[in-house]
Amino acid sequence: MSTLFKPRTVVQAIEDAAKSTQTGYRFIDEDTQAEPFFSHAGIERASARFGGALQSLGLKKGDRVALILPDNSDFVFAFLGALRAGIVPVPIYPPTGLGQLSGYLENTLHIVAKSGAKVLVTSPEIRRVLGTVQSRAPELTMVCDVDTLKAQREELRPEKISLDDTCFLQFTSGSTSRPKGVTLTHANLAANVHVIMDLGLKVQSFDKGVSWLPLYHDMGLIGFMLAPLYHVNSITFLPPLLFLKRPARWLEHMSREKGTISFGPNFAYALCVKRIKESEMVGLDLSNWRVAGCGAEPIRAENLKAFAQKFAAVGFSEKAFVSCYGMAESTLAVSFSQIGSGMQVDRVEGSALWSEGIARPVPPSQDEAERVANVVSCGRAFDDHEIAVFAETDIESVSPLPERSVGELRLRGPSVMVGYWNEPELTRETFAGGWLKTGDIGYLAGGSVYICGRSKEVIIVNGRNYYPQDMEWEASRVEGVRKGNVIAFGTMKPTHDRERVVVVLETSLVDAPARDKLKGEVRRVVQQAMGLTIDDVVPVDAGVLPKTSSGKLQRAKTRELYEAGDLLARGSIREVDTASVVKEVVKSQIGYFRHALLGGIGRKD
Amino acid sequence: MTWTPETVRNEVIQILTPHVQADAALSESSHLVADLGIDSLGVMEVIADLEDKFKLHIPDEALRQVNTVADVTQAITSRLKGEGRLSE
Repeated sequence: MSTLFKPRTVVQAIEDAAKSTQTGYRFIDEDTQAEPFFSHAGIERASARFGGALQSLGLKKGDRVALILPDNSDFVFAFLGALRAGIVPVPIYPPTGLGQLSGYLENTLHIVAKSGAKVLVTSPEIRRVLGTVQSRAPELTMVCDVDTLKAQREELRPEKISLDDTCFLQFTSGSTSRPKGVTLTHANLAANVHVIMDLGLKVQSFDKGVSWLPLYHDMGLIGFMLAPLYHVNSITFLPPLLFLKRPARWLEHMSREKGTISFGPNFAYALCVKRIKESEMVGLDLSNWRVAGCGAEPIRAENLKAFAQKFAAVGFSEKAFVSCYGMAESTLAVSFSQIGSGMQVDRVEGSALWSEGIARPVPPSQDEAERVANVVSCGRAFDDHEIAVFAETDIESVSPLPERSVGELRLRGPSVMVGYWNEPELTRETFAGGWLKTGDIGYLAGGSVYICGRSKEVIIVNGRNYYPQDMEWEASRVEGVRKGNVIAFGTMKPTHDRERVVVVLETSLVDAPARDKLKGEVRRVVQQAMGLTIDDVVPVDAGVLPKTSSGKLQRAKTRELYEAGDLLARGSIREVDTASVVKEVVKSQIGYFRHALLGGIGRKD
Repeated sequence: MTWTPETVRNEVIQILTPHVQADAALSESSHLVADLGIDSLGVMEVIADLEDKFKLHIPDEALRQVNTVADVTQAITSRLKGEGRLSE
C-alpha cells in the first residue's frame, strides 16, 4: 500500500468530509419533482440525528438494524446514522414484484433472523406487506417506520469506532443457497475504497458521480455512497426505477452535472442503446465522462461497442470504459482494467480454452475459421491484494497454475471479508489455505485477470468445458425466446455415458409447431456459435423458471426440477400469486435486475 | 383532452401490443409477465409510454400494484379522474 494511505473508519470519513459545504449528495425524486441536496456538512448532521434516533430505541454498539428502504435519501441517512452509533446496518432489498411475494418474505425473514437484527426500519407500505415477520424472528423487537425516526431530535451519543469493528453485513442471495451475510469491517472498507478511488480510478476532488444503482447492493452502496465520503466527491442519485423507466435520465444527469464517473452492469449500456431516442440525445454532452465502469454481470464487448458508437455523437469516448471484476466477499472491487484505455479483449482459441483449459492467443491476422473466444480483461490485482489461479482440487491452494491456465480464481488481501455472519461452516468452506475461493473460473495473462464463468456451472461434454452463460446468451438471441429467461445446464444420470446439455427457455409461443420450430432454431444457433449440440431444448411458459427472491435465475434448482421430471408440471408465477394470502402484491425495483445486476460473473453465488 | 374508460382501454391495448409476445391473447385479466411474456424491463418501457401518452405520472408505489392489464387501466383511469380528465 502506498505510504500516503492512512486507513480511516467510515465514521471518521463522514466527520472529515463535513468541512465541505460545496460538495455533497443530490437525490433525484421523480414523484415529488424535488432534488434535495445535502452538503457533506449536511450529511454529517442528518446522519448524526438518525444515529441518535436509533440509539433512542435502545440500540447499542454492535447491535444489528435491518433496513428495507426504497427511498435513496432515507437509506443513506439511516445507514450512515447506524454506522455513527456503531450499530451494524443490514440492508435488505425491497419486496420483489410481479407476484413472487412468498419467496421474498421467506428470504427477508431468513436475513432478519440470521443477522439477529433487533430493529427493522422500513416504510409504512412495506411494513404492511411484511406482516408477520416480527413474530417469526426471535430477536426482532420492533418494526419501525422510517418517518417516525426522521422526526426524532435525539442527540447522537458518540461511540468509539475502530477499524476492526464490524461496519455492516451485506447479504448475498445465492442461486443455490440461502442468503449469506458477508461481514465487512471498517478496515475492509478503508482498504477497498483506497484501491477503488486512489489506485483504480485515480479519483480527484473535481470528479463527480451519477448513479442509479440500488443502494442495497454493493456496487451502489460502496462505490457511490461510501467511497465518495472518503474522497469528498459530489454524487447525484437517481432512483433505480427511474433509470429502468427512462434510461435517458441517466445520461441527462451525467450531462447536466458534467459527471465524470458512473457505473452500470452490461445490461444498462444495452438498455440505453435500445431505448434512448435520437430526440432524447439532443443537447447531451457526455464529454466529461472519463470512467464508465461495467461490472456485476458478464461483459459483452458488442453491447459496449454499440453504446460507444451511438453516443460518440454526444461526446462519449469508448476509452472511458473500465471493465470491473468484483464481489461482496472482497468488499466490492477485485480488479479494474486500466483507466483511459477502454475495453481490452483477449482473443484466444476456443477449442483450447474449452478442451484443454488453456487460453492460447490467436494471432490478429488469423481468420475466424477457428472458433475464437473473446475474453474481456478485468485488469490487474491492486497493491497488497493478490489474485491467483488454482485447480479446484487444490484444497490448500498449494500450487498456483501458470499464466494462461484456466482454473478457479482465488483472492487474498485486506479487502477480503472476515467471513459470513454466524456461518462458521460456510466460512471455512469458502477459504482454501488462506485464499478466498471465488467460485469463478478464469485465467491470468500478463498480470491481468480474465473471467470465463462460474465453476459449479461449467458443463463438460466429451472433455470440453462449456459455460452456460454463453449458451444462454446465444439462445436469448433467438426470436420468440424471452430474453434473459434462459437457463442452460448439464445433467448426468448414471445411465448416461456423458453429461447431457439442456436448455430451458421461457416463451409465450403456445402451439406445438411454433415451439418445435423454436427448439430447432435454438439448437442451430448454439451449434453454430459454440460447436455444441444441445440434447434437449425445453420451452416453458413465462414465469416458470425458478428465481431467487431477488429475481436471479436458479440454475441448480432448474436442473433439480428437470431431473425429477417436475419442470413441465410447474405453474407460472401467476398461480403462486393467486395462492398468496397477501392480496396487495408489492412490486419492487430489484425484480427488474434479475438477469442483470445480481447475476452472473462478478457476483459470488 | 378528455378520456373515457373506453378510449383509455383502447390506448392501453395499443401501447401494450408491440410488447406482447407472438400469439399471446390479450385480455383484461392477462398478467403482464406470466401471460403476455413482457419482461420486467419491458414493463417499465410500457409505463414510460403510458405516462407520455396520458400526460401523467405513475408513482413508484402505485407501480408496485400493477400486475394485469386491468391494473394498468385502473392506474390510468383513477389518475385521470383525479385530475378531472375522465368523463364516464
